[in-house]
Amino acid sequence: MLTVVQSIINGLMIGGIYALVAVGLTLIFGVMGIVNFAQGEFLMAGMFITWLLNKWLHLGIYPLFFVVTPIMLLFGWGIFRTLITRVIGKSDIYQILLTLGLSIFLVNGAIMIWGPDYQSIPNTVKQAAWHLGPFMIPVARVVAFLVAAALVVVLEIIINRTEMGRAMRATAESAEIATLLGINPRKTFALAFAIGIALAGAAGVLISPLFYVYPQVGGLFNNTAFVVVVLGGMGDVTGAMFGGLLIGVVEALSATFISLDLAQLGVYVIFILVLFLRPNGLFGRSGS
Amino acid sequence: MTSKRILSAVLAFITVSSLVVGCGTKKTEQPAAGSTPEAPKVAEIKIAFFNPLSGSNGDAGKQDLDGVQLAVEDINNAGGIKALGGAKIKLVVTDTTSEPKDAVSAVERTLSNEKVVAAIGPGISNIALAITPLLEKNKVPIIVNAINDGITEQGYKYTFQSTPKGGNFGNTQVEFLKYLNATYNLGLKDVAIVYENSAYGESTSKGSMEIAKNAGLNVVLYQSYPAGFTDASSLVTAIKNSKAQVLFPVSYTNDAKLIINTMKQFQISPLIIGGGAGFLWPAIYKEMGDSVNGLISVGSWNWDSKAIQDDSNLSAATARFEKKYGYFMTEHAGPEYAATMLVAQAMEKTASADPTKIRDYLAATEFGKGTFGGFMQPGVTKYNEKGWNSNVHPVMIQWQGGKPRTIYPAADAVAKLQFEAKK
Amino acid sequence: MLARWGTRGLVVLLIAALAAIPFVTDQQYLLNTIMMIFLFSALGIAWNFIGGYAAQLSLGHAVFLSLGAYTTIILYTRYHISPIFGMFVGAAVAMVAALIIGYPCFRLRGPYFTLSTIAFGEILRILLLHYVNFTGGANGLLIPYKGQSAWNLQFDSKAAYYYIVLFMLIAVYMFGKLITGSRIGMYLQAIRDDQDAAESLGVKTHNVKLVALLISAGITGIMGAMYACVIGFVDPGSVGSITMSIQIALVAIVGGVGTLAGPIVGAAVVTGLTEATNSFFGAARTGTSMTLYGALLMIIVLTRPAGLISLVELIKWPKKPAKANVEVASR
Repeated sequence: MLTVVQSIINGLMIGGIYALVAVGLTLIFGVMGIVNFAQGEFLMAGMFITWLLNKWLHLGIYPLFFVVTPIMLLFGWGIFRTLITRVIGKSDIYQILLTLGLSIFLVNGAIMIWGPDYQSIPNTVKQAAWHLGPFMIPVARVVAFLVAAALVVVLEIIINRTEMGRAMRATAESAEIATLLGINPRKTFALAFAIGIALAGAAGVLISPLFYVYPQVGGLFNNTAFVVVVLGGMGDVTGAMFGGLLIGVVEALSATFISLDLAQLGVYVIFILVLFLRPNGLFGRSGS
Repeated sequence: MTSKRILSAVLAFITVSSLVVGCGTKKTEQPAAGSTPEAPKVAEIKIAFFNPLSGSNGDAGKQDLDGVQLAVEDINNAGGIKALGGAKIKLVVTDTTSEPKDAVSAVERTLSNEKVVAAIGPGISNIALAITPLLEKNKVPIIVNAINDGITEQGYKYTFQSTPKGGNFGNTQVEFLKYLNATYNLGLKDVAIVYENSAYGESTSKGSMEIAKNAGLNVVLYQSYPAGFTDASSLVTAIKNSKAQVLFPVSYTNDAKLIINTMKQFQISPLIIGGGAGFLWPAIYKEMGDSVNGLISVGSWNWDSKAIQDDSNLSAATARFEKKYGYFMTEHAGPEYAATMLVAQAMEKTASADPTKIRDYLAATEFGKGTFGGFMQPGVTKYNEKGWNSNVHPVMIQWQGGKPRTIYPAADAVAKLQFEAKK
Repeated sequence: MLARWGTRGLVVLLIAALAAIPFVTDQQYLLNTIMMIFLFSALGIAWNFIGGYAAQLSLGHAVFLSLGAYTTIILYTRYHISPIFGMFVGAAVAMVAALIIGYPCFRLRGPYFTLSTIAFGEILRILLLHYVNFTGGANGLLIPYKGQSAWNLQFDSKAAYYYIVLFMLIAVYMFGKLITGSRIGMYLQAIRDDQDAAESLGVKTHNVKLVALLISAGITGIMGAMYACVIGFVDPGSVGSITMSIQIALVAIVGGVGTLAGPIVGAAVVTGLTEATNSFFGAARTGTSMTLYGALLMIIVLTRPAGLISLVELIKWPKKPAKANVEVASR
């Protein structure tokens, strides 16, 4: 029984990180209809920026959160203006290919600049944990979990309560109608994409105590992020949060009670079942 | 209609370009091929370097490259190959990438375009398995630094393997534990063996379950986990529940970091006897700083083993390496350095830069004291009829003062196990 | 009429010229490179049946490739069955997998289909890693090289492989020609242009796509078997990864989606570019060639969405000017 509870805690903790990585992806998909295959690479970029700034400014990871996220927002905006804007409204084949190309470009660009080596950001939070009775709760993951939850709340408020969110929802529905309503769809797309990338950057900062900083690190999360987004319903921010937690728990439980090797298998099987049986996501809301 | 025109245009493009390249290379190739073997005086001898420098194993290949480059620099600074009129060695560096298909292509390119006399080969098993047939067909000797059992089981005449093989690692770990129990009367019996689901993890932990059982140990957990996982807590929960006293983990860089940090969080501290790689390479020091001190791991090679310390020539090389690259000579760099030196010695002694003569010399010679064969434990390199350096064995290291020091077996040890620092 | 025989003659002449290359040079690297171009051309054509003609972007073709490769190697090393037969068993296994994957997946559209193919790819990769005793796990399986044997498709020289793969490419191309001219080809065209319209005209789109996927998987399986024989070594990381799936798709997309000659252009350019940058930059700056590769992909998507083959269309041919039959698969 203790093991079951600890497994669920483990699952929720890694699930918070999956959610964090997936939220940006689902936002971009929801508003623009684009599956961004380079999302993990933006996460990697966020980690490298964190690493560099930590070296230069000697700022800790959590203060850097407020520096790196805006930088990534600008980066995302720049990428949108130079690349993404050109495939808006085209077949999804080209959207997927463009982001795939971008992903290859970013990974290998990082190898060109920093080499294939593993870098580490000095910090103490990586080994910190709270112990509640027999259970262990890791600090860095709790922080990531809470920030993910907070970001989801903020995003939902922006989407549902603000003028900007209204524009996003309208554009997601139909770019033409949005134009009739006096909304500039390009601007809305740019904003959504930039926020989505900023979220990847935020995730990068928060997981940098847990993982080495290296060019291929994004690959650890790419597939899981897709699964989470589909589970939550593509474009559903709150759904992504719950999808992330669910995947985390499924992985942890099957790792503990079936086989560590096959934990991922369970995840993909659930993924395919959801695709077929509930294409709008487990939680039933049709994408935003 | 149109598609046929397009097709013909395409075919024309391929044909013309390949004919141009083909004819061109053929013409330039022939005189060079005829002149090299017999000529007593050569200005430059080319040795190939085949290792992944990009992709998932790029960080390991970089260590290999540093080792070989230093060796070439050392040979050339000492006057080149004197028996060949002071010929300088030129290293033809080839990035095989981490994909076997691209490795084959890259190696074919180098073997076709450059007249190399020998090759220093991959420290990564799947790349080594994919490219050694090409060297066999081209009759160019290669010394590889990978640990897969199969590499020297193919009946190849031109493939040499300096390092211990996969099964040796588990054996050394278990022997070391038996030695600890006997020497310090620890009574550690319950072991957990966890390894990542990669070629490296599978090779080194193959048979380790039987080895441990035969040694009278109690294997309470035997578990593989997916390479490149994002969370070690399930694994560590399993280790915790198994109540293992000793942990044998085989992990690459990121997984080692996750496992160590998560174990700290769970406040469990079995004796860790690491399986090399992630517990042994410089990245773990970057990550843990001085708290790495005390960590124990097995390794295929270490920079300070007894045979190296006893020979000032050898220890000077490791010192030069550290000075030049800013990190200690690793299990990837060291054996590659030695391999390059053995090839140089072969050319020196046979006064020839003929690949087959080099191969024959490597196959027949015992590289003992006073040669760089002494780099490999137990201080001698001798390839058996299959091309494996069968005398070699892994060593146990403990991180002390920010560097891995050899602590076992006794014949190789230069440092004492520091017990307080164990955890 | 004259022009018709002219182009046909030209094609025959060029094939003859390609066949002559091994007589002109014994440069193994050159033969290996061109052979890889042939191999990936055939893979690209196979991918095109589903990715191009049916406009279903599959990023899971590594499944079929690795099933073909693993089946052949396992049959050969364990049961001593020649790869010449093994490759057809491999193709059959790949086609069974195609049925399992295609039957449910074709209900999905757009990115959902693509994501499901990625998921199936990952599932197979995990299984290949898990069943160590059968598949060799992460260490993979090796065809030990034991000297020349035509029966076992083992040759000293690349020239032999070169001819086999060239022959396979020609066969795959002719087969593709046959299919595109057939009823199935027409249906596929209709689905690509507008799936809903096709359906309302009574085309059983689900079945047509399934047939296209079966053909695609079968050819990919056979080429996978050939890949195994040429490289002599397979492991989940190299044949079963998404990288391989992407590579197969890219060849077709870079060359020209939904054309027969496109994948040949794509394979030639992609392989040529990789080899050129690799030999130019070498190991001096690792990552350079792949960075350029990523950049090229983006440039092609942005400037030549119909693939590089659309450049050939620009050339003014004598007699009647070619009208583009390469249409962008727009949804």
